Amino acid sequence: MQKIVASSIRPAITEINRGFWEGCVQGKLLIQRCARCQYLRYPPSMVCPRCLATQYSWYQVSGRGTVFSFVIFHRSYHPDWESRIPYNVCLIELEEGPMMLSNVLGVDNSALAVGMAVTVAFQRIADDLTIPVFEPCGARLPQEPGAT
Amino acid sequence: MIMAWRRAAIVGVGATRQGRLPDETPLSLAAQAFSLALEDSGIDKSEVDGLLSQPGTTSVEGSKNYLNLGELLGVNPRFTGSMTLGGATGGALVQIAAMAISTGMASVVACIFADTARSGGSRFGAAAGGEESWGLWGMYSNAANSAMGFRRHMALYGSTSEQLGWIAVTCRAHASMNPNATMRDPITLADHQNSRLIVDPLRLLDCCLISDGAVAVIVASPERAKDCRAKPTYIWGMGQGHTLENLRCRDWWYLPHQRACVAAAYRMARVSPREIDVAQLYDNFTVAVLFWLEHAGFCEQGEAGPYVQGGDRIRLGGSGIPINTAGGNLSESYMQGWLHIVEGVRQIRGECGPRQVKDAELCLVTGRGMTLNTASCLILGH
Repeated sequence: MQKIVASSIRPAITEINRGFWEGCVQGKLLIQRCARCQYLRYPPSMVCPRCLATQYSWYQVSGRGTVFSFVIFHRSYHPDWESRIPYNVCLIELEEGPMMLSNVLGVDNSALAVGMAVTVAFQRIADDLTIPVFEPCGARLPQEPGAT
Repeated sequence: MIMAWRRAAIVGVGATRQGRLPDETPLSLAAQAFSLALEDSGIDKSEVDGLLSQPGTTSVEGSKNYLNLGELLGVNPRFTGSMTLGGATGGALVQIAAMAISTGMASVVACIFADTARSGGSRFGAAAGGEESWGLWGMYSNAANSAMGFRRHMALYGSTSEQLGWIAVTCRAHASMNPNATMRDPITLADHQNSRLIVDPLRLLDCCLISDGAVAVIVASPERAKDCRAKPTYIWGMGQGHTLENLRCRDWWYLPHQRACVAAAYRMARVSPREIDVAQLYDNFTVAVLFWLEHAGFCEQGEAGPYVQGGDRIRLGGSGIPINTAGGNLSESYMQGWLHIVEGVRQIRGECGPRQVKDAELCLVTGRGMTLNTASCLILGH
């Protein structure tokens, strides 16, 4: 099973993506929502690619999604990932529409499947970096309908 | 057959030795390819009034590459520039040359690509994604993008790694008939299946080579083309298509722009896939061929897996459309698709010897590049 270990890779924090990364620290998956046309866009960008408006707000999505596709790395392209081979990278389709690249943790790579339901989790991998990853639904929380 | 666009022709092609050439530089190779293409065309250098180029991965000057080439080759053109669309660039530059010629802005245009990726240690493992580097999740390399697309194709349509294997085996068999190919020893399906996983579902033998070499293509007006050494290869149709948004497009993985790209060329050429005799399909990975077969209409969406099974429908002398008759990026050499154009021209001229497609009248040549973003194609004919 895949585990996150300390990494030297850092996103370049800018005015545009700061909200996303601060959300991760707070355990929230925040996606930009255009103030004019309401389009939800990811990754963060300066203007709305649908209507070109620059105003936006941060919208907290459910964190639920499905595995749209996935690959398993058997060779390392960066020293930080060498010890994690073989590791998965998944393309996740969020319930609200946006697509994200991420890792699905808590599952053997051999059990990964296109269409698998997943939910976001947050991995603090350094003092200054928490990244969104995903887990199979039900890996931690019961998914009983109506459960409180 | 209806004569389609045909307002420019490829009149000369030149390819240097390919493979590992540690004593060469991109410029030394470019000069050789240019000389070979001029010789092939029978046109004197003084007539070249257009110069277009794709900077190689080891050409640090990037989009100023045309300056270095013009100085090196002694060309002071009316029309020039350098462009980077990855593996779609060669086709796109031939298109720009054709458009320049058809508007009268140039009459003889040299298009050049030179690279020492092999000896220069070029890697194709970078992470895409800008500020939100995909490296945060370990997403590196061109192989991974194509692998992601193939996994989705497997899940939706039931395609398999073995089917990709048939593409690798067939391209190698074609390369074995090409004395200029880097990899000429035949491989079996078992060799493919036993090759190590790189980014599952892609294996080593699904990946193209990394090569040193250069290619030049000379494009001229139909009038000028008449007196060239070889019979002109006319450009019947041209197309491009691009998906530049990556993750924001739900079907980015399937590269729907490739279908639009080929469809545009078919419209211009006024032909359908049935009339294509041979195809040079850009193959940075075997899976690229699988997708092109669907996008170019040689089979239906989702059916390319069974189509390539056994190799009979993609091989020379088989029952379908012979592809990558010189071996392609997988087995001939990785010239980012430029050798696909050269082979297209040679097939139309009938110069291919044991690997010649009998009575080849129309050849489709495709290119694609970047993070599954760009595509270009040409339809070449008499």
